[in-house]
Amino acid sequence: MEQTMKLTLKVWRQKDKNAKGAFESYQADNIDAAMSFLEMLDVVNEKLTKEGIEPIAFDHDCREGICGMCGAVVNGRPHGPRKETTLCQLHMRHFQNNDTITIEPWRAKAFPVIRDLAVDRSAFDRILAKGGYISVKTGCAPDASVMLVSRENSELAMDAAACIGCGACVAGCPNASAMLFVGGKISHLGLLPQGRIEAKKRAVNMVKKMDDEGFGACSNEYECQAVCPKKLSVSNIARMNRDYILGSAD
Amino acid sequence: MELLQQYFQSSIGKKQIVALTGLMLIGFILGHLAGNLLIFKGPEALNAYAHKLASMRPAMYGVELALAGTFLLHICLTVYLFFYNNEARPIAYGYYQPTDRSISTRLMPYTGTLLAAFVIWHLLDFTFSDQTGTLSLVGKESLGLYGVVVNAFKIQWHSGLYILAMCAIGFHLTHGFQSFMQSLGLNHPKYTPVIKIISVFLGLAVAAIFSSIPLYVMFFARIP
Amino acid sequence: MATLNSKIPDGPMKDKWTSHKSKIKLVNAANKRKYHIIVVGTGLAGASAAASLSELGYNVNVFCIQDSPRRAHSIAAQGGINAAKNYPNDGDSIMRLFYDTVKGGDFRSREANVHRLAEVSNNIIDQCVAQGVPFGREYAGYLDNRSFGGAQVSRTFYARGQTGQQLLLGAYSALMKEVGRGTVKMYPRMEMLELVVIDGVARGIVVRNSVTGEISSHAADAVVLATGGYANVFYLSTNAKACNVTAAWRAYKKGATFANPCYTQIHPTCIPVHGDYQSKLTLMSESLRNDGRVWVPKKAGDKRKPSEIPQEERDYYLERKYPSFGNLVPRDLASRNAKFVSDEGKGVGQTGMAVYLDFADSIARLGKKVIEERYGNLFDMYECITGSNGYQEPMMIYPAPHYSMGGLWVDYNLMSNLPGLFVIGEANFSDHGANRLGASALMQGLADGYFVLPYTIGDYLAGSSWGKTAVNHAAFTEAEQQVKERIQKLLNIKGKKTVAEFHRQLGRIMWNKCGMSRNEKGLKEALEEIPKVREEFSKNLALLGSGNELNQSLDNALRVSELMEFSELLVRDALYRKESCGGHFREESQTPEGEAQRDDEKFCHVGAWEYKGAGQTPTLNVEPLEFQEVHLAQRSYK
Repeated sequence: MEQTMKLTLKVWRQKDKNAKGAFESYQADNIDAAMSFLEMLDVVNEKLTKEGIEPIAFDHDCREGICGMCGAVVNGRPHGPRKETTLCQLHMRHFQNNDTITIEPWRAKAFPVIRDLAVDRSAFDRILAKGGYISVKTGCAPDASVMLVSRENSELAMDAAACIGCGACVAGCPNASAMLFVGGKISHLGLLPQGRIEAKKRAVNMVKKMDDEGFGACSNEYECQAVCPKKLSVSNIARMNRDYILGSAD
Repeated sequence: MELLQQYFQSSIGKKQIVALTGLMLIGFILGHLAGNLLIFKGPEALNAYAHKLASMRPAMYGVELALAGTFLLHICLTVYLFFYNNEARPIAYGYYQPTDRSISTRLMPYTGTLLAAFVIWHLLDFTFSDQTGTLSLVGKESLGLYGVVVNAFKIQWHSGLYILAMCAIGFHLTHGFQSFMQSLGLNHPKYTPVIKIISVFLGLAVAAIFSSIPLYVMFFARIP
Repeated sequence: MATLNSKIPDGPMKDKWTSHKSKIKLVNAANKRKYHIIVVGTGLAGASAAASLSELGYNVNVFCIQDSPRRAHSIAAQGGINAAKNYPNDGDSIMRLFYDTVKGGDFRSREANVHRLAEVSNNIIDQCVAQGVPFGREYAGYLDNRSFGGAQVSRTFYARGQTGQQLLLGAYSALMKEVGRGTVKMYPRMEMLELVVIDGVARGIVVRNSVTGEISSHAADAVVLATGGYANVFYLSTNAKACNVTAAWRAYKKGATFANPCYTQIHPTCIPVHGDYQSKLTLMSESLRNDGRVWVPKKAGDKRKPSEIPQEERDYYLERKYPSFGNLVPRDLASRNAKFVSDEGKGVGQTGMAVYLDFADSIARLGKKVIEERYGNLFDMYECITGSNGYQEPMMIYPAPHYSMGGLWVDYNLMSNLPGLFVIGEANFSDHGANRLGASALMQGLADGYFVLPYTIGDYLAGSSWGKTAVNHAAFTEAEQQVKERIQKLLNIKGKKTVAEFHRQLGRIMWNKCGMSRNEKGLKEALEEIPKVREEFSKNLALLGSGNELNQSLDNALRVSELMEFSELLVRDALYRKESCGGHFREESQTPEGEAQRDDEKFCHVGAWEYKGAGQTPTLNVEPLEFQEVHLAQRSYK
């Protein structure tokens, strides 16, 4: 059955936004293979607290892979080595006894570190406030059956809408670009007839905000897609590029 | 107008201009390649082609200027984006392990730099060479551009460098072509995989055919 | 004594909401921007309310504890959202949805509220589609529906297994639209630590910025709490880690009454507990029960592999006890029965606290491909967490705390007994009675936020002048001071036990003595044990760092200290309610067959507790429940 492991953690510690951070090593003993990665961190934090060392700060909430709050670069990959898995759903059975695990925060100019592994992703919210919506007010919607949506588009829109806003795409991109996140939202809304009306303006405004926030440009390396826990495809970026040309030509 | 200005200032706008100029350069490379193949037909064919191009001046200056502009725009924007992108991650990861990027993608900045250097060398080497001087002499007879090329490729390191540059082009196009489609938003679940195959094929073909010239000169060409 | 006036409008049930809307006071369009409203929480209820209020023209300040409003725990709801659209033409109607919800709630909800909920359910679907929520569709482009949680009609709309996520992202997008317009000011990573009440009226809140530790006051003309439920009182629950009762509890301590805290829902299809270190439980959509068969070995202590147990030695106990509903009985019955068989020693898995959910028959009947299409993501989730393959061997499931039907008491206008304090979504008590039906939580959150509160809050505001209070009022300074003292007190303890250890300890008491099945003895024991844990907490808490930085242990300690106080009220309510209804099962009150036995004579009412000061026993206020449309009957799913 499942045995316990002994691990060495190399964790990025940084007191606050302005402090200079550094890696610290900690020992994690008696780690059960059935634990999630975050539960492993909980165990380490309990131990640290008892030793009088301030626990490692890391963001997390739902712990079932949907809220998008958790995330760290584990052994060089956002959310760790397993594909399509958020950090909270990564289980320790995917590690070996005596492994050394390096844990770092997302690194991007637009995602300043707040403390240790926690970063400020509010840039995402600010981008969405520039157009990540359909401008419908409460109460004025027609009956839901009036508008038909082809199943293909509906499914593609759902694929794009599955984004949890965790920021792994930015963390994994060699350029710290947010194109997959922004492209996902532009695709989700632009694929639906009700969202098409504002599509061009939406693309122009959201891209402008994305650039202003300090994210890098896309160089089509597709790392974002490879590390996305929700399988968002880079075809969403292509859709954004298309809408962006159309919007700019208007 | 404002939108247009915004377009040029944006990351996507710049990327799309890189893509468009890249596509134009692919066109140029294919044309150039077709001309180069005349070498297999012998000195007369190649020299006649060179003279034909020369005789089209001064109109040709315009074309050359446009070509140089395209090159410069492509290079300047990519260099700009390279530094822009570096700036987006001021603190590097202690441990960063990319997943499944292809080698051609990873090599883009290097193949690009190599190609820029190659273009200068290539221009000095062949285009602006003295095509009637000592370098063009085969035996005692000047064979014009053909002679220059043949003499150059008889030198092993010269051919070696040339072939290296052609491999760089191959890699550059392998990423570049499909990247162009993506940047302009031409992505489709059915056709994109095909485009990726075409992209690889294009890179391989261009590298192989260009390289065939020095290889031919070194191993097969009999000097007339 | 607080006065509970439910303000249910007169007239026939079906006209109540319509006539109420046409009679309540309105705020002049030009005056709306002069009113400030605080919304705490950005789940379905909070986000939809904030967006809708801002669209109307009010000034709205929104607070959430996560780094972005999009992360509220509504996002984790999987199954779907109910509406009485009757698109499948299977005989659904507002009346039927209303009836099912009242019956499902075991006749402990307020009829008028439930009817309104059923009425506006259709508007919600319209609104969400217009926002771009990608609901599942048929090939012709029409919206698809499915039957969910034992409903006999297909009235559930869904977006794959991520309906909550998509609805929340819809509400969040509406909220961000208003943030972009500048009429909503968003305050993420801010935790409400006090409600400020001046002259008996809610006037604002005190919050802590969890990044800088800064304590600040915010005044408003009305405060809306959309702060969710309290299932984390059990420590292990399907709620997100940050879910807490602080906001509601502070409101309670400031005079708002807390109704029916003992109504907690235990969800039947969760992944069983596997170790002490476990931090939370994961729910799998109960749609799994549509095709999975629940069973345990007939013999107690049977440790054979499931494949080695022949059919005749298996007990498909739900099918046996409830032939007409079988595996699709409501949540409370499914959960309770899993506990009963496990208590008899028939539970499976390492801990013996699990039952099988077996798809072998369905796979044989429909093929693996169909099962994969229907539940693929859930099977993947199960395998990701447990490392075992649900197609090859039966899944193991066990109930887990999931939702709280109880909450702050509100009237028909969703206002608590404190004027100016509104409570919406899971945080209030009104719509689900003693048991919530599947796919109804999303419906209620959005109904309150989009279509109820934006009207009813106007009735209150129109009767009060704007800008009555500023943050420099002494009450705010005092409240800030108290919050700072509370924090400092925790930091000064410097003991040996971590917050999580205390939380686990509390959770164990609650789960064992006040969980799926409750009795007088256990509840009384809990009432003795909880104060001991609290006492130890106040003396032996290990908490490092300061209050002026991001300090997640401090955030937790603050939340756990409130949960501990609250847990006593929950137990007290469970002890008071000597009947079994919905999610509240009192062993003393059951039928000879072991089914829940309501006592309508004595308990057909809402019990709303009122705070009487530290160390004092709270008093109970009663709002009688009258059933005008649906006749009181013993629930039967046989």
